[in-house]
Amino acid sequence: MSACTHQWFMTNIRSGYLVFEGCFECGARSSFFSSEAVPPIDEYQEGKHFWIYMGSFQAVKFDLKCSLCGITVDLDDMNGLMLSTCEDPDCEVGKIVRRQGKGTWVYVALCADSTHARGKCVGGEGIEALNQYFNQNIKAPDKKILVVPCRLCDSIDKCRGIVIADVNLTDMYPDASQGGRPGAKN
Amino acid sequence: MKVSELMKKTGLKAINQIEDKEIESVYISDMVSDIITGAKANSILVTLQTHKSLIAAANLVDVAMIVFVKGKKPADDVVELATKAGIALFTSELDAWAFAKKLAELGLK
Repeated sequence: MSACTHQWFMTNIRSGYLVFEGCFECGARSSFFSSEAVPPIDEYQEGKHFWIYMGSFQAVKFDLKCSLCGITVDLDDMNGLMLSTCEDPDCEVGKIVRRQGKGTWVYVALCADSTHARGKCVGGEGIEALNQYFNQNIKAPDKKILVVPCRLCDSIDKCRGIVIADVNLTDMYPDASQGGRPGAKN
Repeated sequence: MKVSELMKKTGLKAINQIEDKEIESVYISDMVSDIITGAKANSILVTLQTHKSLIAAANLVDVAMIVFVKGKKPADDVVELATKAGIALFTSELDAWAFAKKLAELGLK
C-alpha cells in the first residue's frame, strides 16, 4: 500500500444473496454472491466438481475506498465475516485468539471456497484495509478488531465462531444451554 | 446524551450493567448484514432481533447500546457476549416506531 494514512469508507455496497453449494462427488463446499432478485438454484458441473444448491441467505458486499488518496480496495473475494470463538490448539486462528489481550476481537474474513482448493482466499491488501477500516471507527479506548483471512483456519467448516449473516434469525430456541443455536458454529 | 440519561427519559429496562457511554447516533435494523454497513460507533441500535449474530455485528462497528423493542429479551449467552463486548442491552415495551419517536423528541438522530 501507499504512504497514505488511509481513511476508509464503504463503497459499492450491494445487497443480494450468499448462495451455498456442495459437490456431491468430493464433499467440497463453495459459495458465491448473487445480486439477482431470486437466488439461483441450478446444479452444474465445473471441472471435477458437481455443484448442488445447499441454501442461501441475504447478505451485503462492499468495497473500501480511501477518502484521502482515492484508492479502492476490492473485497469481492470476501463473502462474510465471523467472530472467532476458536479454541482449537492446532488452528492458527485459535492460536491468534489466545495470543490477544483483553479487548481484542478476532474476526475471520470468509472467502467463497472454504476448502481453499482453488488456492484463493481474501487477499492481504483487503485484510489490511479491513483492519484499518474497522479500527479507525472504534471509540472505545481499549478495544481492537483483528481481521484475519479464513485460510488460517485449520478447517473453516469446523471452525467455531459466530457468522455475521442473516440466516436463521427468526428461529425460535428455548434455551441456549440446549445447544444448536442457529448461526453459531459452536 | 449518556446511556444512563437516555434510560431514565425513555423508561428502558436494563438487561446488563455496562460503563456509561455517550450516545452519538441511532440506527434501526433487524438485519445483521445491514448493521455492519449502517450503524456507527457509539450508536444506539434499535431492533427486534435477539440473535447472537447481532452482537457479533454490533461489536464490529462499536455500537454502544442495543434496545430490544416490543419487550424482547435475549438469551443468557447473548447477554454474556454483549457484556464482554461492553455493549449495554435494554428492553422497551414500545415498538420500533414509537421508540424512534421518543429518541427524535430527545434530539437524537
